[in-house]
Amino acid sequence: MIHVVNLEKHFESVTAVNKISFSIQEGEIFGLLGPNGAGKSTTIKILSTLLKSDSGSAYINGKDVNKKADECKKIIGVVPQEIALYEDFSAYDNLMFWGQLNGVSKTELKQKIPELLQLIGLEDRKSDLLKTYSGGMKRRINIAAALLHNPKILFMDEPTTGVDPQSRNKIFDIIETLNAKGMTVIYTTHYMEEVERLCNNIAIIDTGKIIAQGTINELQAQCDLHEYILLKTAKKVPSSIVTKLQEVLQLPVSYSKSVISVKCKPHLHLKAVLNHCELLKIEIVDIQIQKANLETIFLHLTGKQLRDY
Amino acid sequence: MIVTIFKKDLKLFFSNKKNVVLTFLIPILLISLFAFAFGGISMSSSENKQVTLLYTRFDTSLISKKIKVQLDTLSTINLVQVTLEEGNKALLKGKNAGFLILNEGLKDSLLLSKKLPIVFKYDAANPFEAKMLQSIVTGVVMNTIGSQLYMHKIAHYMDTKFKSMPADLKQRILTDVSKVSLKNKISTVVSAVPVVKKSSDTGNLGLIQAVAGTAIMMLLFSISGVGGGLLEEKESGTLSRLLYTPIKPTAILYGKMLATLFISMLQLVTMFVFSWIAFGLPIFKDITSLILLTIAVAFSVSSFGVFLVSVSKTRQQLQNLSTIIILLMSAIGGSMIPLFVMPNIMQKIAVISLNYWGIQGYYDIFWRNLSIVEILPRIGVLGLIGLVMLLISIPLFKRNIVALTN
Repeated sequence: MIHVVNLEKHFESVTAVNKISFSIQEGEIFGLLGPNGAGKSTTIKILSTLLKSDSGSAYINGKDVNKKADECKKIIGVVPQEIALYEDFSAYDNLMFWGQLNGVSKTELKQKIPELLQLIGLEDRKSDLLKTYSGGMKRRINIAAALLHNPKILFMDEPTTGVDPQSRNKIFDIIETLNAKGMTVIYTTHYMEEVERLCNNIAIIDTGKIIAQGTINELQAQCDLHEYILLKTAKKVPSSIVTKLQEVLQLPVSYSKSVISVKCKPHLHLKAVLNHCELLKIEIVDIQIQKANLETIFLHLTGKQLRDY
Repeated sequence: MIVTIFKKDLKLFFSNKKNVVLTFLIPILLISLFAFAFGGISMSSSENKQVTLLYTRFDTSLISKKIKVQLDTLSTINLVQVTLEEGNKALLKGKNAGFLILNEGLKDSLLLSKKLPIVFKYDAANPFEAKMLQSIVTGVVMNTIGSQLYMHKIAHYMDTKFKSMPADLKQRILTDVSKVSLKNKISTVVSAVPVVKKSSDTGNLGLIQAVAGTAIMMLLFSISGVGGGLLEEKESGTLSRLLYTPIKPTAILYGKMLATLFISMLQLVTMFVFSWIAFGLPIFKDITSLILLTIAVAFSVSSFGVFLVSVSKTRQQLQNLSTIIILLMSAIGGSMIPLFVMPNIMQKIAVISLNYWGIQGYYDIFWRNLSIVEILPRIGVLGLIGLVMLLISIPLFKRNIVALTN
């Protein structure tokens, strides 16, 4: 559905997008993960025809975004990072305006707007001015405004910025509903947990380059990352006991701050670890499984924590 | 698409109370204020503002009495008798601009052809009013004693130069000269004729200046504010969102231009209707010309507003730029100070200001009573200014869009 090949964009001396390539299949939720300034928004702007790339190519449904911008615009919807709506208009009037600009007739909109308001859960607030809405509600209207012309592809540029957890979950539900109906979603964020929850496919972008891409499992495999069983002990464990545990398990074991870390595959080794701890009379008060996640993948790939930005 | 943008901009404009107050209420207040300041409200066109002239009379002759009576009959002069001390004090304090002193010995001076003991003192800080009073006083004095003055001068000349001339011949010459001078009073040598087309409904100059000058200046301010909405959209992200839709970038500009044009016209119409109701400005005397000129003024001002927006990158920049340019244009073009009180060079420079063409156009309609054909050149200039501004704005706007998407 979307093919990007060696896409490049410079702003004076700054390279915002550096020869990136990826493909997105129909019906996917594709996550573009990276810190602020990584090039996510620039990529979205190029794909949504707002910016022209300096080199490389991007196709949506086989149409070149640089050359056939008008045709591409008909099948894409864009949820911008900002709440790009008119605060002095009601939700209904905002949707009516954006729908008309996307070429939808008033008659169609009168049918479509109530459906969308129901989808985002704001049908009872449709006549209220937007300035009376909470941040999360505005975000939901921001999404609805991109759906009025029934796009096949939805670009969402950090759609949960500044919203409360409840609204964030509501937004996730909306995205999942849309995706279930067959909509392809391109989702940019710098929140790992959002990508982990929503996306089938992920590209990690940093300083304009894609540094890894695939499913979470593929990314974990690419990075050869390990998982840990973390055992919190009631009392200090002598080093001789820790060494003995390592010998019997034949796995790397370390002990620090009353926590025994066993580097292993938790789903295979958990039972054995707990049995041997019991035999060695290690009193355990808490057990945690530390899986390799995007955070660890990002850290592994870049040597930086995503939240450092 | 343009109409959708136009409707949206109008709706946004009217949903903001601050905009409405700034566009309609403030100009109405300012027009009222300037109308009072220019002294145009309570007077009809034929009337003039009365100027106070202080006087003191030490001379008791019939001649000085005649001068006093003549001055008293003038509708433009409010003659007030004071003592010498009071008169001097009033001038020093700037309370009055002119003080006439008719000193003793006026008749003797006239008979002996000596310098007349008439003194006109004036406040140097108020040269315009003083000059006007001086010329009125000179006219009245010449009108009252001018003939006698010349007769005595001629008689004195003949007595000194032609001593041998027979007395009856001298008398005959003086009688003939006297007849001629009485027929053509000195004051009528230069006749002042007001050049204004006759109309049953001639406006009031002060009021026209107040309405036209203020309306155009305030229009410029409010339109730059309306245009600023475009930069607000740029900052809030709605302009980006507009560009995600299939609409062409120029359509956004045209839609905005259409909305500012509509608001401009609405503002001007409100100002004129208010001036008609409140101050009796004769807006229906040539309604066709008024409508055409108003459209031309609205178009040029709207284009100018869009131009200012197109050259600015932020609202702060627009605010600073527009304040300086609008105040400068209004000062030069006659919105703040009427052009006729400005020096010649300033009147020539005024043509560079958009305000000048608008104000002069309204003068043509309300004061000079010109026909629509005679007003068309001014309408044409305003239309041309508007068109040029719009044409310049298009590439600038596009460039700003590129800057925006960066």
